[in-house]
Amino acid sequence: MKDRVRFSSKRLFLTLMLCACAVILLQNYSLGRGGGFILDVIAVFSGLALSFVFFIPSIILKKKTDADLLMLARQRTPRAAVAVSIFYAAYFAYTATFFLIPYTDMFSKKYYPEVSRCVIALLLIAACVYAATKGANVITRFGIFLFAFAMLTNLLMFGGSLTALDFSNGFRIGDADSLFGDVVYFCAPSFTAVIFACLAGQGRGFTVKQPVIALLLSGLKYSLVLFFIRYALGSYADRQEYRTFVLSRVAHFGAYAGVESFYLALATMSVFMTVSLFFCCVCRSAGMSGSLRVIVPEAVFVFLLNLLTKYNQTAEALLTNKYILLFLTFIAAVVIPVLYLFVWRKFNAEKNKHIITEP
Amino acid sequence: MKYSIKEIKDRLKADFSDSADLSVREFVLKSSRGVKAAVITMEGLCDKEQLAQTALNPLLSFDFEDMEPKEISRTVLGSVIASSDVIPFDSYGELITYITSGFAVIAVDGGEKLFAVGVQGYASRSVSEPESEVVQRGSREGFVEPLRVNMSMIRRRIKSPLLVFEQLTVGSGSRTQLMLCYLHDRASPELLDKLRKRLAACDLETVLASGYLSDYLEDEGTSRLFSGVGISERPDTVCGKLTEGRIAVIADGSPAVLIMPHLFVEEFQGVDDYSNRTYYAAFIRILKYLSFLVSVFLPGLYTALAQFHPEYFPTFILKKTAQSLSETPLPVTLEVLFIAFVYEIMKEAGLRIPKSLGHAVSIVGALVIGDSAVNAGFISASTLMVVAAAAICGYVTSPLYPPIMVLRFIFIIVGGIAGLWGIVLVTAVVIISMCSKTSLGVPYMSSLSPFSLKSMRDVFIRSGWRTLSRHTIRVQKFPETEVKG
Repeated sequence: MKDRVRFSSKRLFLTLMLCACAVILLQNYSLGRGGGFILDVIAVFSGLALSFVFFIPSIILKKKTDADLLMLARQRTPRAAVAVSIFYAAYFAYTATFFLIPYTDMFSKKYYPEVSRCVIALLLIAACVYAATKGANVITRFGIFLFAFAMLTNLLMFGGSLTALDFSNGFRIGDADSLFGDVVYFCAPSFTAVIFACLAGQGRGFTVKQPVIALLLSGLKYSLVLFFIRYALGSYADRQEYRTFVLSRVAHFGAYAGVESFYLALATMSVFMTVSLFFCCVCRSAGMSGSLRVIVPEAVFVFLLNLLTKYNQTAEALLTNKYILLFLTFIAAVVIPVLYLFVWRKFNAEKNKHIITEP
Repeated sequence: MKYSIKEIKDRLKADFSDSADLSVREFVLKSSRGVKAAVITMEGLCDKEQLAQTALNPLLSFDFEDMEPKEISRTVLGSVIASSDVIPFDSYGELITYITSGFAVIAVDGGEKLFAVGVQGYASRSVSEPESEVVQRGSREGFVEPLRVNMSMIRRRIKSPLLVFEQLTVGSGSRTQLMLCYLHDRASPELLDKLRKRLAACDLETVLASGYLSDYLEDEGTSRLFSGVGISERPDTVCGKLTEGRIAVIADGSPAVLIMPHLFVEEFQGVDDYSNRTYYAAFIRILKYLSFLVSVFLPGLYTALAQFHPEYFPTFILKKTAQSLSETPLPVTLEVLFIAFVYEIMKEAGLRIPKSLGHAVSIVGALVIGDSAVNAGFISASTLMVVAAAAICGYVTSPLYPPIMVLRFIFIIVGGIAGLWGIVLVTAVVIISMCSKTSLGVPYMSSLSPFSLKSMRDVFIRSGWRTLSRHTIRVQKFPETEVKG
């Protein structure tokens, strides 16, 4: 398995869309508290449009070389490839921690107050290590089941809240002061561009419309969530600490409260899939698909970062800073791929020169 | 090279340690040179009457006049033996294989060839409906133990020259005969090569049933929880699979035929689906999928909800469940585990004891253990109901029972320790393990993931025959299959 078979690029984007949809909802964010729905939607689509910009260098690389950044780094710049690998390993460790902290925190607060969030992180990371050893192809196959489950969950959540819709406050435009912060927040899915940059070489049948559709569908999902938070939940949403809690409330059907567990299950599976994909990318950067020798040290590093954030407030603030994440994502998804585009062009120019001068 | 009967006889007696069932009947042919011949058989494996009619009587009555042993050999094959199933051979190894397979071997002293005559006549079970694959509408025939009978059942259904039976032998000690069965134009040569190599790598000394080979046929490095080797005792099922490019492995002495590649969705397909109305077949399929999910998850979910998330129970169920659980001595996780365990014991007992005692065990299980334990307050009625419902659902897809049982226990334990979160995480791991599994290079979860819209016409629903007949799906054409052809 692992790298032997190239898998459908459509499936890769389906998986990335699921990562983008679910992970962003875990963030402890004050969206929807006092703002207007229309500005929120503008923020969503501006953030996602910005995210698309992060995809452009990798798209060009994929179109021109049918390879991904890491493959190109190993082939064209073997010496620099080590540094590139280390950077991506560090980036994915940071991003994994960025998503794991709010997730584990939420679960330990909601269900297991007596269990440390590090224990939850440890178990989740262990499961992700297993998944990563199977390779990105298998994880994207898992994505199909998750997509089916996500459809069911969304249907239950939004369907169950239709009767609670209340439009008496009307469609307010909202306050433009927080727009910049909101746009940055909705840039979070740009981390999927880094995954694409690392795994694009394994995909086949890539077209530019795939990332566009994936981001548009993510935007639709965010807008729906915002819509239901604003018009079905009202003040209940304002009292909640986590988006997930807000959405789980949407799923209440009279006496059948259990439906909210669907959403929590979806969040768990999405984080599991995302972190597993991170580990796969790290493996690919080391050129050893599914190798435990690469995955285990990375997993231990991620766990140690989680442990650090538990005891050190500064570390937690640094590791959950959305601006730092955006900056690192910019380097990983834009700067390095652009550099490699130049490397590739230079290599091609030299090759062509060689062919012309050869008698 | 010429051989002598004495040499053969001595070697056989030495190799078989003078075994009582080895029979070497020597006689002198009607010939002016007084040439000797022998019929070598294993007692109980040959039909004596058929042997006398086809070989012994003609041999003893034929006048070979002044012929040389070499010429006698040729005449025996060409003019004497009255059977269509005569195989000339010249190696000692083949001699052993033939006589132990029920053939009678004729040797002419001083001849160059030996002749195996097909007069097998051992006692065997008659063809009957397989108990594990009962159908409402369809053939009542099931495979039996003799290999040749099984081959004939397949050949009768596919009267095509493209149907190939390829003979192999496995087991250094038992030398069990196997037949690879496939349709020449449908099966991928690469798949066949893979299968041949795996069977050749089988280093078992004794192969008494086809199931012994399953482990050798599975893909390396994939999970063994679910089986990548299909098993059927029905010739119609096997024929259906052959038309899709699959390969069957028939082992002598076993009615269970192995089919490869085998996919997860096939566990939910039955012969009746194709005979029944489309809407009814679709209903049954969906029912099977739901039963599978209920059987795997219900006890684990019940444990998780009762232990960690009682608020998820609807109020009217919560009251009754809480009341009944509070009256029992064991914690809910142990209680569910205990009942599931007792159920497995009763199931095994029911399978092993004589049929006449089966009813008694059912009564003891249902009334004495079940009802009395609830009345006495040892176990709660809700727990018993949950485990019983899961157990019954498990039998709807009986080939999947072993993984269902293992997963059920895992989910009970995980649900009791880590609640819903643990169940979700283990589910994700199990799905990953299933997605990574391949059967002869074909993804085990094919049709579902990797998704194939074309194949979906026979997954959750069964499309009408007009749609199905438009294109026959071949296993090697599934997306991301590692084999070509």
